[in-house]
Amino acid sequence: MSLDVTTQTTTAAPRIPVGRTRGIGVIMLAIGLFTALVFGVGSGFGAHSSLTFNPVSLTNAPWHVGTLTLLTAWSNIVLGVAIVALGLDVVARLPRRGVMARFGVVAVLFFVALLLWAARTTGPSQINFVNLTAILIGSSALAMVLIFGSLSGVMCERAGVVNIAIEGQFIGGAFVGSMVASTTHSFIYAAIVGALIGGALGLVLAFLSLRYLSDQIIVGVVLVTMLGSLSSYLNLQVFTPFPQYNTGNLAPNLPIPLLYKIPVIGPVFFDQTGFFYLMLILVGLVSFALFKTRWGLRVRAVGEHPQAAASVGIKVIGVRYANVIMGGAIAGIGGVAFMASQGQFQPGYTSGLGYIALAALIFGRWRPSGAVVASVLFGLSVYLADNLQTYQVPVPTEILGMFPYVITIAVVSGLIGRVRPPAADGLPYRRD
Amino acid sequence: MPESTPRRSLWTRLTGQSPFVVTLFALVLGLVVGAIVIITTTAPVLNAWRGFFSGWGAPGHALKVTADNVGAAYRIMFTGSVFSPATLWHAITTGQGWSNALTPISETLTYATPLTIASIGVGIAFQTGIFNIGANGQAMMGGIAGAYVGTLIHLPTVLHLPFTLLAGIAGGVLAGSVPGLLKAYTGAHEVIVTLMFNYVVSAILLYTLLSTALQAPGQQNDIARTLDPSAQLAPLFGTASGLRVNYGLVIAALVVLFAWWFLERSSLGFEFRVTGANPQAARASGINAKAVIILVFAISGGLAGLAGVTELAGFYKTLDGGFLVGNAGIGFTAITVSLLGRNKPIGIVWASLLFAALGVGGRAMQAATGIPLDLATVIQSAVVLFVATPVLVKEIFRLRTSPTAALQLATKGWGS
Repeated sequence: MSLDVTTQTTTAAPRIPVGRTRGIGVIMLAIGLFTALVFGVGSGFGAHSSLTFNPVSLTNAPWHVGTLTLLTAWSNIVLGVAIVALGLDVVARLPRRGVMARFGVVAVLFFVALLLWAARTTGPSQINFVNLTAILIGSSALAMVLIFGSLSGVMCERAGVVNIAIEGQFIGGAFVGSMVASTTHSFIYAAIVGALIGGALGLVLAFLSLRYLSDQIIVGVVLVTMLGSLSSYLNLQVFTPFPQYNTGNLAPNLPIPLLYKIPVIGPVFFDQTGFFYLMLILVGLVSFALFKTRWGLRVRAVGEHPQAAASVGIKVIGVRYANVIMGGAIAGIGGVAFMASQGQFQPGYTSGLGYIALAALIFGRWRPSGAVVASVLFGLSVYLADNLQTYQVPVPTEILGMFPYVITIAVVSGLIGRVRPPAADGLPYRRD
Repeated sequence: MPESTPRRSLWTRLTGQSPFVVTLFALVLGLVVGAIVIITTTAPVLNAWRGFFSGWGAPGHALKVTADNVGAAYRIMFTGSVFSPATLWHAITTGQGWSNALTPISETLTYATPLTIASIGVGIAFQTGIFNIGANGQAMMGGIAGAYVGTLIHLPTVLHLPFTLLAGIAGGVLAGSVPGLLKAYTGAHEVIVTLMFNYVVSAILLYTLLSTALQAPGQQNDIARTLDPSAQLAPLFGTASGLRVNYGLVIAALVVLFAWWFLERSSLGFEFRVTGANPQAARASGINAKAVIILVFAISGGLAGLAGVTELAGFYKTLDGGFLVGNAGIGFTAITVSLLGRNKPIGIVWASLLFAALGVGGRAMQAATGIPLDLATVIQSAVVLFVATPVLVKEIFRLRTSPTAALQLATKGWGS
């Protein structure tokens, strides 16, 4: 094998040259001008865009809010000017921190402008309003799954093991989740079994990469391939002859009294499935545990410098095993959550969500909070890419679908801000 | 031979350091995993086991049903991908039905052709210590570029076919140079960049199929125009033979020769291997690391692009949205094939023949026994998991383990 680059000396991350930050500022300026000119001036000064705030499903509707009608041109010019201002700020001050955050804001403003432009009256679209709440609810389901996946990545990679098999854990969780939920009619059991299967896959990854020092990336890639084909095989062998094991698994919403009545925010945050609330709890838990507890300090030490951690008596291998299994379990629950948002299992329907979760982890700088923000942004972009066709706008939505990937490539190349993975992430560790 | 060396039996010599033996045992373990999957999911087998204690003959019956089902699956996998003794004998004795007898092996060769080319690209990158996980995207890009030249430009065959293939290579080089340049100049980790770039290219593919002149006229779906006959790779034995194996096989053979010469004989190939074996030593001896990274991605991507365009021109003839998308993608299989072949050109040839045979045989198995084709992919991934953990295989089969073997597959992390 030629991959035996065992002891790479990890030098300090090179300081990002000023030119790159300026470059991203210029890109932001260009996006702002594009928004103001094409989406603003280009839509004509007579056009209106309507925003509605009532969710499509009216079972737990919030307090009614009227429709907001905006002049498309002027609102988009305002949005464009805001983006230009952010870009100018970056170009002029070359800030060391927060460029990624500013870029995230720019992306959201751009999405809003795109929606306003797409739904303008006297425009090409058949749907002449933007249902902001529906869009947020739809993308929150995707963001939830991405957050489960990226939290799993945080758990594994902070301890120094690259978990590229998130996609496989999603598939495994979704498959057994559907089976258990159909037979027991309990999403709690489904989540438990999903966590078990995800944890088992994590155990395989940990076992092969920690005990036998296999390449973590190879094991991850192969696990994804294996789970993909195994689930498709079992789907034909089990679910096709017995469809009753794979049906009617849409998780019910559990509205939180009163809070769900707040317009816009209420249906998005307080009228969700149990998986969503579990995700919120997990984010807080992982965040707190990783950065505020002794346990978290140990995990981070193992991920940054396992030799040093071992020298103060931390059991490096044990910590890694525990974290990879817990991370796998979280991703497994994410798979169940995805299945519960779709109602059933279908082979291949995670379609790369696990890799977007990996991207969100990287864009979020290996932090739970960052991963949440990145997942929300990516969830929104994926949702829009999938659903803009319904607006029948002449925009190639495939371009929008690239967004998470392009942005992640830009981030790892240091074009936007700087990311630094845990120093020992993916490196094999031997006790001697 | 000095007297002091103890005589070793054939078994111990076979089971010593040879990576070939590990691969063979990994294959056995992969087939065992496949058999377990068949046994636990096939209704007749399960029913037979359910009646295990129902009578004196029941245990024997259960074992027999199991052996019959697993045996039938693997037998059809073999006869469907290599040859079937009956039809071959029929062809030899009567002189007729040769096409029928040769179809399985022709199919295997057809599937192995692009797989070999792409895996060699991945293997060259591996040998340089570069993990090119983006062969999928690069092959797709090759397919897109080849489809443009093959459908929208009209030329005589002598010019058209070479231009189509060159366009495919150029597309692959283009897609490969993105991670190459980014890694060389910004230090971006190639695994992340190539992984993400696969999906970027999927989006580009969809866009070109839906919104450009490539889309077949009058089509609403993601289907391109069909390649001009002058841009297609003709069947090796003529259309009349009915065998699908095509001149892509010749291209694959040339690629294997080129790769062998490049890695074993050329000075650039030597620099590549030194960089892969020890980057510090390579830098110390004056090898330009940046140039090596950019070049290896160009070559790896170009080969993946060639694989994509070969698959298009020799097999599919029409580009569509399903081309190389998802798990069926050639790029991920190429990674596993390259690992199985230990990144050496000859090893890769055997590995891709094996994987193609598993795939083709899986199709025959699905048609004959109803066991889904995906079993073949399960076996493939299990084999590679075992190959990637040689120590585990040696422990299972009680082979001797060498102390260095443990670190053979150690890698570098995100951070490096």
